Amino acid sequence: MGVLLEVKNLTKKYSGLTAVNDFSFEVNRGEFTGLIGPNGAGKTTLFNLISGFEKPNSGTIRFDGRDITGMKPHKIVNLGIARTFQLVRSFRFMTLLDNISVSCLSPRGKKLSKEYGIDESASSILGAVGLVDKARIPPIILPHGDLRKLQIGKALGTNPQLLLLDEPFSGLSHEEQRGITDLIVKLHDDGVTVFMTGHVLRELMNLVPRAIAMHQGKYITEGPPEEVARNKIVLEAYLGKGSEDLA
Amino acid sequence: MRLNLKLKVKFKEFPGYLNDWVHTFRGALTVVLLILMFLLPFGNQSPYVLGIFITFMIYTIFAASWDFLAGIVGQVSFGHAMFLGVSGYVTAYLIKYMSLPWWISLLFGAIIAVIFGLIVGVPALRLKGPYLALGTLSMSLIMYQLFLMGSMAIWWEGLFGTQLFGAEGVSGIPRLSPDPMVEYLITFIIMCLSLFVLTHLAKSNLGTIFKAIRDDETGTSASGINTTKYKIIAFMISSFFAGVGGALFVMHFRGVNPGIYQPLYSFYAIIIAALGGLTTISGSALGAFVFIFINEILKFVKDIPLIEHSPIGPLMEPLFIFSIFLILVIRFAEHGLLQPALERFKEVYDIILGR
Repeated sequence: MGVLLEVKNLTKKYSGLTAVNDFSFEVNRGEFTGLIGPNGAGKTTLFNLISGFEKPNSGTIRFDGRDITGMKPHKIVNLGIARTFQLVRSFRFMTLLDNISVSCLSPRGKKLSKEYGIDESASSILGAVGLVDKARIPPIILPHGDLRKLQIGKALGTNPQLLLLDEPFSGLSHEEQRGITDLIVKLHDDGVTVFMTGHVLRELMNLVPRAIAMHQGKYITEGPPEEVARNKIVLEAYLGKGSEDLA
Repeated sequence: MRLNLKLKVKFKEFPGYLNDWVHTFRGALTVVLLILMFLLPFGNQSPYVLGIFITFMIYTIFAASWDFLAGIVGQVSFGHAMFLGVSGYVTAYLIKYMSLPWWISLLFGAIIAVIFGLIVGVPALRLKGPYLALGTLSMSLIMYQLFLMGSMAIWWEGLFGTQLFGAEGVSGIPRLSPDPMVEYLITFIIMCLSLFVLTHLAKSNLGTIFKAIRDDETGTSASGINTTKYKIIAFMISSFFAGVGGALFVMHFRGVNPGIYQPLYSFYAIIIAALGGLTTISGSALGAFVFIFINEILKFVKDIPLIEHSPIGPLMEPLFIFSIFLILVIRFAEHGLLQPALERFKEVYDIILGR
């Protein structure tokens, strides 16, 4: 076990708005953690800070005992943190196989794929996310659920220790959600530490053993999701003041 | 290691590999066209005709280098003429004042173009999209003014006793070979090599990373790729081939002057690549062919007395006609001429083979 990701007093200010306010938490190796909070709570900003796409105003982020605050995104990926995006990103005019190959060609991905070659590793990842029969088509014609899977596949190509999933369920049907859930659970069973966000409580409740709640950039509470859901501030944030009776 | 292995496999299966390729439609067409082009100087030795073909091949290399950078890596440069010019000047200088053989000068010119690409690329590639286009455009204009400056010419002449800067440029360079046929064949080989290397780079693992940068740069860095590094590599590859084109250009026209840095030449590359179809690379050959030959025909048409003195005479300017032509191509064949042309040819090919 041991702490894999340690965030301390992280603050990110935009002019007039504090998106992440003195935020601290830890994620242990092999853990499956959820980050919940209503829309605009600062979850995506927090992810951007951890993965290096934005620089914090103050605070530190340590990964595997190493200070990664303010590092370039590609360096952080090569240390073992891979992320997906809330709005799906893909290489539109390249085949799915090539989409994954790009991750396999990163310095960290190369180490993994050295033995079998880039194409073979990429297709085995496509197999793992269940897209192997679509290897030769470009992502522009894929349905949304498959794009989400592709995102996870792209992250897996870099052989991550820690997987940051930003709203992996948003915009999906129940059927598709189940597919993604199975995939994430399987990855976690294979030993990947998973840290994911979600703004709908129900989705995360059944999935993660531990949830961290965030509201207006601030840390609220953490614990088993049922407990977190009963927290007064969390309820207020989701449903408005005086709503404890309703819940 | 892996590349080595791949090459070995390809080499072992080489005859079979070539055989398979020739039997595909594209392979067959390419081989036929290359053989025809190779045989041309044995059939027609008029320096005028060979000269047109040599110009066409030089423009092909130049436009292909632009297409590699813009179509594959997504970095649109509006100042590609600066690589043409830097390499051209170096080549001309080495041949004229150092009396080096042409091929060493060409190699040196291209290498200096690469170094220049590195120096320009590091600051330029911090710019994105239209700003990169503007940045490169202004860099080429700076080069134009720099080489035009009279004070630079005096300074250089005082320092080295040779003429480099200034409006006259460097003139009186011998051609590759006094025999147009030899010049044609050498240019032909260099063009084939350049297109071969560029198309294969685009298909390689490096090309996969380049295309990823074109499609989504943020996403590429999220995949653990150092995008800045690869963009600079791409810039250097592109400037190498633009440099090869520049060296051949200067040798063919037997001199160089600051006019080579004009945006006009950068736009020629863009027009040619767009005519052939972006991202195709070998499409540049078709684009350059159309471009150069329409240019020649227009020159001819312009000189017909009946047209020259008629009201449409002044409208026969090649650039004017080309602008219209390009607009039509973009409107009706947005992927350039190569893809539709290949499709039509393939239909005929299939009919001939009775498929």
